[in-house]
Amino acid sequence: MNQLAPTGLPALFKKILIANRGEIAVRVIRACRDLSISPVAIYSEADAAALHVRLADEAVCIGPAASVDSYLNINAVIGAARQVNADAIHPGYGFLAENADFVRAASAARIVFIGPTAAAMEVMGSKTSARRAAIAAGVAVVPGTTEALKTFSEARDTAARFGYPIMLKAAAGGGGKGMRLVHSESELESSLAGAQSEAAAAFGNDAVYIEKAVEVPRHIEIQVFADTHGNVVHLGERECSIQRRHQKVIEECPSPINDPDLRARMGAAAVKIAQAVDYVGAGTVEFLLADTTREFYFLEMNTRLQVEHPVTELVTGIDLVREQINVAAGARLSFTQDDVRWNGHAIECRVYAEDPENNFFPSPGRITFLRVPAGPGIRDDGGVSEGADVSIHYDPMISKLAAWGRTRDEAIDRLRRALDEYAVSGIKTTLPFFRQMVRDEEFRAGKLDTGFITRFLERRAGDTADSADPREAQRKRDLAIIAAGLDYAGPQTPASPLAPATESNAWRIAGRSALLRARQPDTARLLKRR
Amino acid sequence: MKLKAEIAGADHLLELRRDGARIVAKVDDRDYDLQAHPGATGVYLIHLGERVFECRVRSVDASAGLSEVHVGQEEFQVTLTDPRRLSHASVSGTLAAGRAAVIAPMPGRVVRVLVEIGTQVEAGAGLIVVEAMKMQNELKSPKAGVVTAVNTETGAAVNAGDTLVVIE
Repeated sequence: MNQLAPTGLPALFKKILIANRGEIAVRVIRACRDLSISPVAIYSEADAAALHVRLADEAVCIGPAASVDSYLNINAVIGAARQVNADAIHPGYGFLAENADFVRAASAARIVFIGPTAAAMEVMGSKTSARRAAIAAGVAVVPGTTEALKTFSEARDTAARFGYPIMLKAAAGGGGKGMRLVHSESELESSLAGAQSEAAAAFGNDAVYIEKAVEVPRHIEIQVFADTHGNVVHLGERECSIQRRHQKVIEECPSPINDPDLRARMGAAAVKIAQAVDYVGAGTVEFLLADTTREFYFLEMNTRLQVEHPVTELVTGIDLVREQINVAAGARLSFTQDDVRWNGHAIECRVYAEDPENNFFPSPGRITFLRVPAGPGIRDDGGVSEGADVSIHYDPMISKLAAWGRTRDEAIDRLRRALDEYAVSGIKTTLPFFRQMVRDEEFRAGKLDTGFITRFLERRAGDTADSADPREAQRKRDLAIIAAGLDYAGPQTPASPLAPATESNAWRIAGRSALLRARQPDTARLLKRR
Repeated sequence: MKLKAEIAGADHLLELRRDGARIVAKVDDRDYDLQAHPGATGVYLIHLGERVFECRVRSVDASAGLSEVHVGQEEFQVTLTDPRRLSHASVSGTLAAGRAAVIAPMPGRVVRVLVEIGTQVEAGAGLIVVEAMKMQNELKSPKAGVVTAVNTETGAAVNAGDTLVVIE
């Protein structure tokens, strides 16, 4: 830790404008506070009373609720930064975080953008140029032909070059039509004929190309960090295989595979890609990993802080946002590759205002009750408070709940406890869904791949029969009715004489007979409403 | 107090009497003697013998008596009917009176309109189907009554907060 000492550090920023909202704005505000930098919030008209505004020193309204008119409005955001004389802008993730025009507008206004250069952002922003950069850096991409196969012998040679298994895909394809997984050369000829005729029937075009098949693919990403002095370091992987509609739901660090050699190889590849674009700041290189062969292929690079950064922070102990700010101010990274240690296991779930019982339909509304879990190994990165409105205008994620443990099992135990402790009323959330998931055998066993959610949802649907104790279930239903009745009856009126509260059975029997005697005259009193 | 309660599609009878923190309740033929400590609005900590249950009640539709109740992590929809109020109401006809506007909860597109002006609807009847983010959501009538206005049509785009149907 030779570079931890602040001596020789360039002057830090005095004031940072956070060009975001919700939990990530709150997260950046906390890092600013740690560094004694004054945080400035921006907000849309819908967010005037939001948590990130409450926690800031200053706040500037940048437009109406719709994000195109506010959080995506470059002129309004830069205008706000100038208005308060901010030294730097932290973009968070989403909104303008990967917008090269925004980076240029900030530098034109002589405000430091906390992130990579516009040029690096642009290379990684396009799939084709990112793929080219990866190939140039010597990192594998999913091999594939871009031209349709003309003959069987061409198909045979290409497949042999990629290595089986391969995937045949209709050029005009979609929806699985004209697709064939081929495990060996003996299957190739009939599969090719089948794929071509299916493609012709479905799309009127029998063009088929070959892609290397990634069997049981896992989605693994590597956190990288670079400073302006040429240091590039990786902070290990995050497993993001649990996805629903291509959206990450649960992330872990390390991957349940937990293979130091694989981590070193993937880390080195990610560092090469970052170096290829002169990357600065925090970035994430995403890979597809074949679970069986442990071969990995570059997918894309995200040129920003990721939603799931807390799991890396929990395991490495490095504050990524603090580091981003220091690096943007010109400091050297506070750690070297050899300093990075991975300690224990962290898992994060994204709590959304969505109804898992209704096809994950968004559930906007007012949060009437909120109790956030705490205790050993628990971290909640929330963006809302009790009484807040979850708006229809923005991403419905209300918090990220992360758990750390020495082992994956210990982390899961803590996550289960925290999920059970988490209480939200007023809106539907994905908490019940996660409570089931952390109890799922396949999840606990770490059998994660991108098909996990589909299988989990099927298991869950088949598990509708109430497996709980039926008497307990009836008791809870009855208590729900009683609680609703109490609420209906309203605040307590002055006490009437009743037997003193003791816990003997005899007392209860007496109480019951007292109830029977007294029921009629008391009814009117109890009917007074709030 | 006697109330009718509907939960998970089944009807129950609730008898409730309380004194201070002590509650003596009967649900159908099941007797409960418990302690309830109110906390924040709608939150009741219930001691049942040695067991503790935190219950959170939130009124979803006061006129229909519909509440969302959490017992610990479990969530229930409870509809309470007060027989005294109902009989009183049916004489004067005031309970079912008043307008109820059905409002679009989020921006989307109308894929089906299930009612027209003059349609008699029950509480909970489907009125209109709105598609948002590739999912269809049926908007239901908050009360029994007659449809007096339909402000949209199939295929129309709607914004959050738009009044789509009025029931009187």
